[in-house]
Parts: sequence; structure tokens; C-alpha cells
Amino acid sequence: MKLTDEELARRIITSIIEASVTEGHIKEFLEKVDGIPFYGIAVDLPFLSISADLLKNTDTKLVTISSYPLGGMTTEVKVKQVEFARKYGADAIDVGINCNAAKSGDFKTVEDDVRKVVNAAGDREVVMCTQLGILTNQEKIKVCQAILNGGSKAIKTNSGMVGLHTDIEDVELIKREFGDELIIEASSGIRTREQALAMLEAGADIIHTSTPFKMSENWKEVNFYEIVGLGKK
Amino acid sequence: MKRREIKIEDLANMIDHTELHIDAKYGDIKRLCLEAEKYGFAAVAIYPVNVPLAASLLKDTGVKVAAAIAFHMGAYPTELKVFETKDAIEKGAEEIDFVMNIGALKAKNYDLVRNDIRAVKDAAGDLVTKVILETYLLTNEEKRRACEIAKEAGVDFVKTSTGFREKGATVEDVKLMKEVVGDRIGVKAAGGIRSVDEALSIIGAGASRIGTSSGVQIIEGFKKRA
Repeated sequence: MKLTDEELARRIITSIIEASVTEGHIKEFLEKVDGIPFYGIAVDLPFLSISADLLKNTDTKLVTISSYPLGGMTTEVKVKQVEFARKYGADAIDVGINCNAAKSGDFKTVEDDVRKVVNAAGDREVVMCTQLGILTNQEKIKVCQAILNGGSKAIKTNSGMVGLHTDIEDVELIKREFGDELIIEASSGIRTREQALAMLEAGADIIHTSTPFKMSENWKEVNFYEIVGLGKK
Repeated sequence: MKRREIKIEDLANMIDHTELHIDAKYGDIKRLCLEAEKYGFAAVAIYPVNVPLAASLLKDTGVKVAAAIAFHMGAYPTELKVFETKDAIEKGAEEIDFVMNIGALKAKNYDLVRNDIRAVKDAAGDLVTKVILETYLLTNEEKRRACEIAKEAGVDFVKTSTGFREKGATVEDVKLMKEVVGDRIGVKAAGGIRSVDEALSIIGAGASRIGTSSGVQIIEGFKKRA
């Protein structure tokens, strides 16, 4: 697969999510990547307003998170977070699935949770974060089916920040089982252009990364982790 | 507390028996609750989604259900932390472990940090509250400042870590935190404490609550040395 930088950028969501992020960090990062036509930028809920303002003259979607990265929050809390996200300008919300229910084989709870979150999101896109890395192949398929049944049409493969990496085989599996029914956002451990292209070839629609500059020589080195004081990653 | 003065039941009563693995099953929560009751642990520390199950299992046992709020990054608007706290209490939570607004502390927006902690504390009413600093991300000066703010806000414990970072509780951090908060507020050490030796040295440094997934191992280890 050959993509121009612009074509690749339009398949990338850049994530600037960390515990120690400040408004200053968000501004610095967005100024430095200004001009790259990313598909989306993902920020924590408190930074939606400022990010919406900084992105207003671009096509870049504003993405935020709910019950992320651990998926341990209740449906009621997720609904409240999604309502907040809508109010403050999010275009899409990455929502952690109830992992403990999924691992317990309780796919009905997973599905009901998705349904309530999707209803609360209205016209905003809900991407369910599945943590494929902790699931068996059978569980992966059942979780994706529960997500579709619940009304979401997109999944994120792993959340990152919990030590999981996305395997190309997982993307292939979901693509084979669900075809174009499900949008696949590949995330966690995808750092290079080669890795990104391989994921896209395997059937991923979108790539998540917090270090996009590593994917093109023409993109300025903007190391998010360095900006927030965690050293280079 | 001197090592020789600690009785087994005192040690058990300092432990928050913790299950925050994302791949935990309902059966793991049941096991956690049974062990907590058997060993006389202070609390079980779990995700809000698992609070109803744990609350039903631990009714009338004396073991508290502690909910992990704003996990693990704490970067949530105050109104959503307050909502999450109230929701967890409604579902049966009896203690609240919550992550402070770390980004606001980094930005020196101390009013926001204080108001955020106070709002969660108020939402928790009379229940025990533990504010998590995530010391791994902080400078010593930031740790001190966070402890001062937590003290002003009136929480019951300052807690070192969520357990999701490269580094959890250290003896140095516990000493530093205890020095700032004094006797009225406790220090909870969490993250990476797996053996009885580690538990006792962190208690020696000033911790009065320990968050660990290895509570059973720690108590069994303590029995062996007695």
C-alpha cells in the first residue's frame, strides 16, 4: 500500500491523553502539528473546549474518551461522560467496554452498556474500546457482535496504557468476521509508517498513535511524551 | 508502628484487598470478597462496575467496599468525578479511592486541585476518602504541595499510586507524605507491594493502609515469620 503523507494523515487519530497533561501542553502540541490534516485528535474530557477552539478551522475531528483506558466505570457514569462530551464539542467518543463482564462471558451486559452509551451519544460517533489483547478469539468475536447489537459501528482494538499491543492477526480476524459492518481503529504500539500501513492493509480503517512524526520524515518531531514531561517514547 | 508491635489482625486490617485487573472475571471478585472476609482485610478495592456484586457479598462482614474513581488518570472534570462518586455510593461503595487532577497540579492550578478534591470528599459524606497522587508523575515539591492541599480539603488518606504506572509506592514517598499530612490523615501505599517485608517496611515509613493484590501472600508470609 502506498499513501501520500496527506492520505496517511487522514487515516490517523493522534492521541494526546495522559494524566499530567495541561492546557499548555495541548496548545503546544496542536500548534506544532498545525497543518497536518489528521483525521482526528483525541483529548481528555477537561480539554474539549480548548481543543474545539484550536481545531475550529480544520477538518480534524475532535475525539475524547469515556471509561478509559480501564473500562471499569458504570453505564450511568459513561452516559454522563458522553453527555458532557457532546455538550463540549466532541465529534467522537472512545468508550471502554465493560472488560470484566466480557471476560466473565456476560456479553448481554456488554451489549446493554453499549446501547445506553450509543443512545446518549446521539449524532456523535461511539467507538467501543475492546482490549482485544485480553480476549480469546471467540471472545473477540462475541464482544464485537455485542457492540454491533448495541448499536455502535466502530471498535478500537486496544486502549494503550495497559501494556497491550495490537496484533495484525486481530485486525484480520475482525475484518474477516465482520467485513465492512465494523470500522476498525487500530491502536497501541503502532509507531512506524510500516506498521501503520500493515494495519491498514489488514483491514484497519484508522490508526491511533501518540507519535505521528515517526510515520513521515516530513512531519516535524513533536514528541507528546516529552511535552508532558515523561521523556521521549 | 514498630514491627514487633504489629499483630496479625492489625496488619490484615491495614490491607485493601485489590482486584483491578482488566481481565478479572466475576469469579475473581467473589474470591476477593471471600478472602477479604476470611482474613479480616479492611476493604476490597475494585472498579465501580463490580461494586454491586462485592457489596452484596460483603454485607454485614465489616469488610468495606472501596470504589476506584476516575481511574487511572484522574483527568476528569470535577462534576463527573462527583457524579461517579455518588453513583458508586448508591451502588454500595463504602470508601472512595479517587485520582486527583494531576494535570491541574502540574499547571499550578491549585484552586482547581483543591476544589476537585473537596467536591469528591463532600459527595462522599461520612465515608472514608483516599486521594491518589500518582507520585511517579510528580516532583517532590509537587508531592508536598498535593499533600498540603489534600490536608486542607479534609480527606482521610493521601495515597501514593494507582498501581498502573511503572513505579508504585516507595518508602521515601510514604515518609515524605506522612511528614506533610501529620497524624490526623493517613497514608495509603499502593503499587508493587507484594511481600510481608515490603509491607512492613512501608508501614514503618508511615503507611497505615496498603493497597495490594497480594494481601493473602503478605498475611501468610507474616504467619511464617511469627
